Amino acid sequence: MPSAKPSPKSRTSRALTSVSSFTILPLTLPALPALKSQPPAPHYLYIQPHAPKLPEPDTERSLFLANIPIDATDGAIRALFADQLGGGRVERVVFEATVPSYAALNTKSQGDSGGARRGKKRKRGVVNEDKVGVVEDAETALPRVWERGLCVSGSSAVVVFVDRASAKGAWVAVKGAVKGGEEVVWRGEGGLGEKRYRDHHSLTFPPRATLQKSINAYLTAFTEAETTRDRLRAKQRAVPDEDGFVTVVRGGRIGPARLEEAQAAKEKADEKDKKRIAKDDFYRFQTREKKKEREMDLRRKFEEDRKKVQEMRERRGKVVPMS
Amino acid sequence: MAPPATKRRKLSHSDSSEDRDVAISGSNNFARNGSEDSEQSSGDEDPMEEHGLYGDEDALGSEGEEGDSVEEDTPVAVKKSKTTGPEHRAKPRKGIDDIPQDGVYTAEIYKSNLFKLQVDELLKQVKPKYGKKEVTNAMHTLKSIIEQIPSREPQLVHDAEKSLLKSSKVSTPFPHPRPPKDAKYKLEYEKPAVINVTGSYVLEIATKHGDELCVDLVVTMPSSLFQEKDFLNYRYFYKRAYYLACIAVGIKESKDHKFEIRFESLNGNSLQPILVVRPSKDASGDFSASKFCINVLLSPGEKIFSPEKLLPEKNCVRPKGSKDELSSKLVPTPFYNATLQADCSITAYLKVLHAASKQCDAYKDACILGRVWLRQRGFHGHARKGGFGNFEWAAIIAILLQSSSGTGAPILSAGYSSYQLFKATIQFLATRDLTKIPFAFQAANVSLPKTEGVPYFFDGERGLNLLFKMTAWSYRLLQKEAKNTLKSLADSTFDQFDSTFILKVESPLYRYDSILELPLTGFEQDTNEEDIRQTLPRTCKKLYTTLTRGLGNRITSLSISLPEETGWQVSSSRPFEDRQGRILIGLETDPVNSTRLVDHGPSAENKKEAASFRQFWGEKSELRRFKDGSILESLVWSQKESSGTIVEQIIRHILQRHISARVAESAKFSGDSFNHLITAGGLSGQSGTTPFLTLMSAFSTLEKDIRSLENLPLQIRHIISADPQLRYSSIDPPFNVSKQMKTPASIVVQFEGSGRWPDDLLAIQRTKVAFLLKLAELLSGENAQYVTRVGLENTSQPSQNQSFLDIITPSGAAFRLRIHHDREAFLLHHQLKDKSLDGPSREAAAHALATYKRDFLRIPAHTQAMQALCTRFTALSPSIRLTKKWFASHLLSSHFAPEFIELLVARSFLQPAPWTTPSCATNGFLRTLFWLSRWDWTHSPLVVDLANTESGADSMKADDLAAITTRFEAWRRIDRDLNRVVLFAASNLDPDGTTWTDRARPAKVVARRMTVLAQAAVSVLKDTELGIVAGKTGVADFQPETLFAGPLSDYSFVLRIARPFTRFGRLKADAKADNAMFKNLQLQMQSEGRDVEAVGYAPASLFVEELKEVYGNTIIWFYDEEGGDVVAGLWNPLAAGKRGWKVRLGTSTVPVAGKAKASKRYGGVDAVVNTGGILNEIARLGGDLIEKIEVFDIQK
Repeated sequence: MPSAKPSPKSRTSRALTSVSSFTILPLTLPALPALKSQPPAPHYLYIQPHAPKLPEPDTERSLFLANIPIDATDGAIRALFADQLGGGRVERVVFEATVPSYAALNTKSQGDSGGARRGKKRKRGVVNEDKVGVVEDAETALPRVWERGLCVSGSSAVVVFVDRASAKGAWVAVKGAVKGGEEVVWRGEGGLGEKRYRDHHSLTFPPRATLQKSINAYLTAFTEAETTRDRLRAKQRAVPDEDGFVTVVRGGRIGPARLEEAQAAKEKADEKDKKRIAKDDFYRFQTREKKKEREMDLRRKFEEDRKKVQEMRERRGKVVPMS
Repeated sequence: MAPPATKRRKLSHSDSSEDRDVAISGSNNFARNGSEDSEQSSGDEDPMEEHGLYGDEDALGSEGEEGDSVEEDTPVAVKKSKTTGPEHRAKPRKGIDDIPQDGVYTAEIYKSNLFKLQVDELLKQVKPKYGKKEVTNAMHTLKSIIEQIPSREPQLVHDAEKSLLKSSKVSTPFPHPRPPKDAKYKLEYEKPAVINVTGSYVLEIATKHGDELCVDLVVTMPSSLFQEKDFLNYRYFYKRAYYLACIAVGIKESKDHKFEIRFESLNGNSLQPILVVRPSKDASGDFSASKFCINVLLSPGEKIFSPEKLLPEKNCVRPKGSKDELSSKLVPTPFYNATLQADCSITAYLKVLHAASKQCDAYKDACILGRVWLRQRGFHGHARKGGFGNFEWAAIIAILLQSSSGTGAPILSAGYSSYQLFKATIQFLATRDLTKIPFAFQAANVSLPKTEGVPYFFDGERGLNLLFKMTAWSYRLLQKEAKNTLKSLADSTFDQFDSTFILKVESPLYRYDSILELPLTGFEQDTNEEDIRQTLPRTCKKLYTTLTRGLGNRITSLSISLPEETGWQVSSSRPFEDRQGRILIGLETDPVNSTRLVDHGPSAENKKEAASFRQFWGEKSELRRFKDGSILESLVWSQKESSGTIVEQIIRHILQRHISARVAESAKFSGDSFNHLITAGGLSGQSGTTPFLTLMSAFSTLEKDIRSLENLPLQIRHIISADPQLRYSSIDPPFNVSKQMKTPASIVVQFEGSGRWPDDLLAIQRTKVAFLLKLAELLSGENAQYVTRVGLENTSQPSQNQSFLDIITPSGAAFRLRIHHDREAFLLHHQLKDKSLDGPSREAAAHALATYKRDFLRIPAHTQAMQALCTRFTALSPSIRLTKKWFASHLLSSHFAPEFIELLVARSFLQPAPWTTPSCATNGFLRTLFWLSRWDWTHSPLVVDLANTESGADSMKADDLAAITTRFEAWRRIDRDLNRVVLFAASNLDPDGTTWTDRARPAKVVARRMTVLAQAAVSVLKDTELGIVAGKTGVADFQPETLFAGPLSDYSFVLRIARPFTRFGRLKADAKADNAMFKNLQLQMQSEGRDVEAVGYAPASLFVEELKEVYGNTIIWFYDEEGGDVVAGLWNPLAAGKRGWKVRLGTSTVPVAGKAKASKRYGGVDAVVNTGGILNEIARLGGDLIEKIEVFDIQK
């Protein structure tokens, strides 16, 4: 990929090399025909060794990258470190925020990220009170409609290297590059532009067989989970606990027309209410109170209107016919 | 006196008062101590009903001493306001609740509190200050000047005129025709009998708005000047003109006071020249500080001539020639007679109006309201502006307040409030056809001549037809406006104050569908007349009669306006009409009839009528035999686009035949000038929905096919359309037979309820996919020509609808079918209330629920309603499309739900006040823009009653509106900064009001831009309109395109989309393909390989969607989703500024050394948006979609 020479100005005058514990790494961006008339502009990566509040086992061999380019992919970041920043080998990259949000860019971890990102904590076949859930895996998930996603502008990623040495090497290389003013070029993986959208369009309509298979798998899993739940509930209903109480749980009846019945019940209740309302002006005090209420209502409305008009005047100025 | 009780009672019920209220009032009746039964006034019945509406009539103290005021349709309650009279003084009855009264109960007397309060405001604003020193001083000065003018000896006409011109350079303003050379009588000047102030100023019914304040000074000429027969043959008017000239001389020559004086025709009546006196500009005059003028009117005094001789049917201008031969059939000269009577009765009317203002407290305010109303509708006492002005209004009310002996109760009651007086007068004007049944006041024995189209409001006591200056068309227009206002005042739901008094109704571009412009130069000059002015009334009358006959029911109103007249210098004689002027004819068309291709005339057997028909239409008329065997004279109009609309063709034909070829040639016509901006936007020969019929029929075929499928696992409950294309409102008509439809039209299917659906949101979505697969299989099995495929959507939002089925029919129509399952709503609700879920999940559930409601409930309901409306209002569909085009042209369409724009336009049709329902696309569009430019969305919601019909059966009630307003106010309280709901748009189908605009769609910035653009458009229109009225620009000169273009440099940067991905590029490619192939090949291709892949594929839209998600609120994007060729971006000023650096700023940044306090933690480093880097990212993402990125420097 052709890379533009960084403008000398941006290199020399930019005294900032770090902010807080982050090292600022300017990335030279490729020159593009659509931007011919624009001066080249670099992208800035903020890098530091990964230091989350709750350390994970991988923390020691990870770097934290903030402000990654929107077209950052696993491959592109791998290549960045491998080719230009010390040659450290990357095990995986975890992105903070992607578009579309479910798209796991790391193909290896597709399975778990697919489900986990849905924001619902479920385990396959696990039953709690009245929720049945199926954790999606490659088989039950709906086919994906994007080949690759994008990163949200200004989001971050955690790069996990194969070992501590690689991570350390990469960190040193980053600092070295910044200090030495070396040019680091951002090379995306390509595959963008119209073709990506065309691919998306055809992925939107998965083959019938694929879709059917995925649906079948899902619904089978779902039925299984449901059966498990029902069985569990039936058991709960049947067996008293230690204190001799029987837990009341949902179920015991799976019937149609829940909605219709509910509606009928509601209508009945409404009718009852109506009958009661009819007697509301039976006593004199009721009539009187009602009257009073209406009176107050009227007054309140008038006050409101007056306020409204006043506000209108304040806002629009005087009430004057248009000329 | 009140009108008969029965009538009142009936009408008062017709007001929105429900039976319930009456019932309550009935019960109250019993509780009362029947004392008021003895009260004679029938008025006391109304208060009961009335107060029934509002509760306790006792507390209201409704019993006025003199019988309460009563109005035919506005029953009476007592109000407590300063404008009302003593009879309204509240008299709280003893005992029961003593509730203080502070105007709360004005509701019925004033339509509503809001209305009343606004009227008060208005009155306050338009009333001028009376008793200004400058004015009184000036009057006194002028009076003393006039009193000191010396008498002049009687002289023969010619000599008198000459001597004035010679000695003082004042030309005598003789009316036309000039006095004969051989006139025997003499002209003289003597001290005036009386000088008095008259007119609206002294009556305190003037308005200060707009025109300068005018004070009328009436000079009564001494009766010694006149002889008994002076009313004949202009003699009085010659004497009067000389007298006026003498006064002019006097003022001109007075040394102490410098005034500027001009002659003017009073109300454009050349018989009545008057003197207009203004403070001299250079002099530090007595009243130079305030802007006003004094009109010096002349009057011969009352009863100087016998009123019988001046009745409308009498002749006062004897033709030349021998008396014997002509005396038998003298033509009446009503205009001449009335003018003379008007001069005589100036003081008499002052007395009448004064008496009225004494008799009725609200009279003055009613006059002022009338003035404002007339002014906003372009009516004026000036003969060229309708001949119905402030005086006529005031006089009519004053007379209607009096009881005409013999006819019983007066039409208006003195106890009315100003609003009631106003409304009742409007009602009088609207419902009485004074041309057919003249109104005669105390004139039982007077016979009024019947002239076609001339209205009569004859005041017998003063012997004057108050409407004598009106023409047939101005009267029709007045009637129409009155009807319109009456209708809008009857609206009990929406506030109609603005439409009644504030909005400028007369603007021709909004008011008329078509404007015809006839330059005066085109008209032949009558050889006998030196000034075309004399022939103009006749010409106009002919234009009116021929055009109304020719256009028939194609038009609903026609008005003729002439160039304005101005005064002239006293030293010169009356100027001729400016030949550069022109006649403007405004037309309101009837959308149903205006495009009729064939006119049926009389049958050939009916010889007389047929002859008249032929005579009128000339060679255009042809004898035709019709299917039913009848042979009729008929007219067939051309449908070709080059020949213009049918209305235009007819007008040109009539001008040619009945006026002159020259006029027809020079005529310029402008009608529905915007319709060419959208495909098939015109209504010629078809209704607005025609371009959509192919899709509609494709839909009904599909529906039938789906319903007839056997083996479906569940029965189908409905198949409903839910797409702009299926409600006649997409900018481009969806498809025609030769082309594949590109954007599939959404439809919704609901199955019969079943217990076998899973009870889990995600599982429901999977089940839907299974259903769709099954449906696709069955459909394709039934008819192999259906192309079907199941697609996925909302992949990031698992609880929203996940799947749809695209169906492409053999004819090329494309549909996108989704399944509606009502259990989803319940489950989402459940999730929303589930406290155990985390915030984001509940937020997602809320979002999903809103989306569910919108897609499966609101959009289908909206679609049905709009379908019905588009068939009801022919012009609605093209108006919507034009308005959408406007939004799209300004790159706003992606920020506004299409339904929202449809509501906007529907509002112009359903609440058209102050105009009538638009009858062409241009009108609907322009009025929508006009409303938009005035919409203060921060403080007021958009509420549209889509069920608003003539019958008003299901229409919204005031309560519904109140509920919506409450909801709106609640939103404004919750979301003060308008971050979430900026525009609030509710309808009867969607009382929530946020369905289309929630989640900042549009954002505040964008909404503001919409308003600014609308305002800019309206001001362009205003300029055009002023140009047209002033005669500077032609009606056809205006370029509608100007409203649809805006500079791109308003944005920060612009992405030029590569050709193949824009609408233009696509059209071109289509055209190329069409041209390149033989017809048979094309047909073959259609049937075999339809370009199915491309259906629903819009790469640029996908691109913009992604940009929105990736850049969040850093950049605001503007894009025309219908294949626009640019995507414009604006750096959000909130996000683009310099901020303290931190890790997550939500945007790509450049670190810079800074000193912001907030950045202390990070060592004094600030961050700004990395604009260059972002543009590079965008270019990388867009790849070959983007041709070029242009950056505009907006650092100002």
